[in-house]
Amino acid sequence: MSTSLYGVIALVETAIGLLLMARLAIGPTISDRIVALNTLSTQATLAVLFFAAFADRAIYLDVALWLASFSYLGAIVWARYLERGLL
Amino acid sequence: MKTIIFIVLASIGLAFSLSGAVGILRMPDLYSRIQCSSKTVTMGALPALVALVVGEGIDSSYASRALLVAVLLLVVNPAASHALARAAYKSGVPMWQGAVRDEVVERKEQQKAKERARRPDDGGGEG
Repeated sequence: MSTSLYGVIALVETAIGLLLMARLAIGPTISDRIVALNTLSTQATLAVLFFAAFADRAIYLDVALWLASFSYLGAIVWARYLERGLL
Repeated sequence: MKTIIFIVLASIGLAFSLSGAVGILRMPDLYSRIQCSSKTVTMGALPALVALVVGEGIDSSYASRALLVAVLLLVVNPAASHALARAAYKSGVPMWQGAVRDEVVERKEQQKAKERARRPDDGGGEG
């Protein structure tokens, strides 16, 4: 498996993340921004995983694992805040 | 053979991620956007992660982390999407003008109608 393919996939995921950043900037309500940020974190997780395979550094895999677990925790905390007005 | 499987799975994942991102940009209302966002994970992220497993081999450290991330995404993303949609509905984010039905309001009206139908009978029985 050629490693340049991994780099291309990581780049495409980053470009998709840029599309999501537009929604993050223009989103009319705060919930829109949270949805965009949630999806953006998924794309960032994938980009980091593929970049780890591209650069052949296994240490970056832990970054991806951390992102995948804590971004959803953040989304749930934001949802609770929107629903009840307190954390 | 391995390369072909890798490329097919990765392009499925990238295509669905791209379409989900375009949907999040273009959809008219928050609830449609949440639907696009959860599609991005289920059909976009999982094939890409399986592609990484296929590309690196099942016994590498990349494959184990990729499978762990896949399970994590698969379990937690629906819960997060559900919590977000529920919180947005309760905090009064409007639906799209062309939305056909709102089942929460319909069910509440049905319950109210039922209570209204029941109450005079109970009052009359006690009185």
